[in-house]
Amino acid sequence: MTGLEVGVDVGGTKIAAGIIDETGAIVRSARRPTPDSSEIPAAIAELVREIAAGQAVAAVGIGAAGFISADRQTVLTAPNIDWNDAPLGHDVSALLDVPVVVENDANAAAWAEHRFGAGRGAHQMLAVTVGTGVGGGLVVNGHLVRGAHGIAAEVGHIRFERGGLLCGCGLYGCLEQYASGTALERRAEGRLLGPDGSPVSGPEITRLANAEDPAACELLAEFGRDLGEGIATLVAVLDPEVIVIGGGVAEAGDHLLDPVREGLAAFLTGGTERPGPSVVAAELGNQAGLVGAADLAVDPDRDA
Amino acid sequence: MPERLAVGIDIGGTKIAAGVVDEDGRILARRRRLTPSTDAELVLTAIAELTEELRDEHPVKAVGIGAAGFIDESQSTVMFSPHLAWRNEPLRDRVARRTRLPVLVDNDANTSAWAEWRFGAAQNVPDVVTVTLGTGIGGAIVIDGQPYRGAHGMAGEFGHQQVVPGGILCECGNRGCWEQYASGRVLSRRAAAEVAAGTPAGGRLVELARLDHPTVGTADVLVDGTHVTRLAAAGDATAVEWIAEVGHWLGIGLANLSASIDPGLFVIGGGVSDADEMLLAPARAAHADQLVGRGFRSEARIVRAHLGPDAGLVGAADMARIRARRRRPANPAGRARVAARTGRSPRRRR
Repeated sequence: MTGLEVGVDVGGTKIAAGIIDETGAIVRSARRPTPDSSEIPAAIAELVREIAAGQAVAAVGIGAAGFISADRQTVLTAPNIDWNDAPLGHDVSALLDVPVVVENDANAAAWAEHRFGAGRGAHQMLAVTVGTGVGGGLVVNGHLVRGAHGIAAEVGHIRFERGGLLCGCGLYGCLEQYASGTALERRAEGRLLGPDGSPVSGPEITRLANAEDPAACELLAEFGRDLGEGIATLVAVLDPEVIVIGGGVAEAGDHLLDPVREGLAAFLTGGTERPGPSVVAAELGNQAGLVGAADLAVDPDRDA
Repeated sequence: MPERLAVGIDIGGTKIAAGVVDEDGRILARRRRLTPSTDAELVLTAIAELTEELRDEHPVKAVGIGAAGFIDESQSTVMFSPHLAWRNEPLRDRVARRTRLPVLVDNDANTSAWAEWRFGAAQNVPDVVTVTLGTGIGGAIVIDGQPYRGAHGMAGEFGHQQVVPGGILCECGNRGCWEQYASGRVLSRRAAAEVAAGTPAGGRLVELARLDHPTVGTADVLVDGTHVTRLAAAGDATAVEWIAEVGHWLGIGLANLSASIDPGLFVIGGGVSDADEMLLAPARAAHADQLVGRGFRSEARIVRAHLGPDAGLVGAADMARIRARRRRPANPAGRARVAARTGRSPRRRR
């Protein structure tokens, strides 16, 4: 394979692009605000040209929040960007004249953890990414599991509560309404205040917990137990070897992971009569999506 | 070489079904007994006796056992069985010692899925989830044409995915498990309650049960979920509604499985699936209604299993037959090496 391996992470507010080396490290990167959805292919192409700086590009992998078609070219629908059956892969490929694949951002992050991070060596790894929503990715024996329609491991949309909170996806009671970064901020309302009396952000809650603030720790403990309870259902179904928890909230480390383990143990069927998965923190931080997308793009068959 | 035959044994909470199965999944002979569910030793004896009876009739080469419970990843030990008395039971080796045949043990839902995949509703479909609605709910996963067992051999315990936080207490110790809402016991529970309350529908159930047991005076104690299905099949609107409710919960759990695994096909088996479209139509509706991304995606088909209650034993036999053939070394020297490894004499014949 000659040429640069480029990964792109398309978020609701910004687009980041980076070149990775064979160890998954980011060599060079750039970002810009996310434009109107019709302008996104051109913006991605410009970013890629900018970081490639004249060198040949082998392939581009794009991670995006949303449902991606099984052929990894089309965004079927996305929560934060106005995309319906958007042929993102083809559009970017036409502009850059290189192979492009599109992958669900949580799948891409899971792949990065499998290749370069906390999931290395595990035969069955479930990655759970706790960000604005809750994403998931499943890697089994070195294969990313996409499912029959490209929509496997939508961890955030298993039903956590009957007739519960309305989710952005249109359903009620989805796990991500209880265990995402957004949900954490909502839970903090009236319980935690910033220095100037303002509502606290997710990163602020994590920072407070890491400084051993009792209220923040208690909040994370409650939140983590609910996340663990949701994960218990996935473990009953999938019985993975390792669960990798990523996303911003995971920076709270064991302040989050211990309650997750607790909730999982309390709600896992078979209880102490069965072995369960280890629950570990992701290692690649918020660049995991970009790194994983780049790696998946170089050789579309690497995981097939 | 004549056709290769294996014994398949399906151990359920109430009965043990055994049969001789050929390479095409046909059952050539069968036996059945009640499960001595409180005594693990008696279950072992029953397995050994059934195998002996069947091998007197047919030259079988292997024994496959499907059991309700958690089976370890080496497919030898029943670690925990909610409806039987087994705890860390080394079933494979104990049966092998008694029968002197190669033995394979797997979860009964896995063996059923294997049968549907080889001979039934799931042939040639790469991504399949099977759901077996019996007393509880079992299930199995096929991803990209490969059975998926998980890290500890425990994947597919769909019955214990939580569908109602803080809901009905399950035998597994948790609350709100799917099998408390969408399994055969839901219908049995409903039937018992209606009979106890003396409702008109309860009366109709008792009438049906009396037809089965004309000589028993207190027929009402024998009413169970199968009578609900039969009453519904005869057009009883109340019974149809009960089954539709189970179907609704079935669909809700399937939507969770679509979110987790995204299969192309769900195969629904087990006794409750006898209700067929009375069950599956509401399940499809609830699945579609609860499906993440609905309207923007293609959806899994939901069909009834083809092989009926025999799937568990057919699959167990087929898995054991294939495994035994793979393990048998091609030359005598190889056989000797295997014997040295296992400490048993090769080819000892009865």
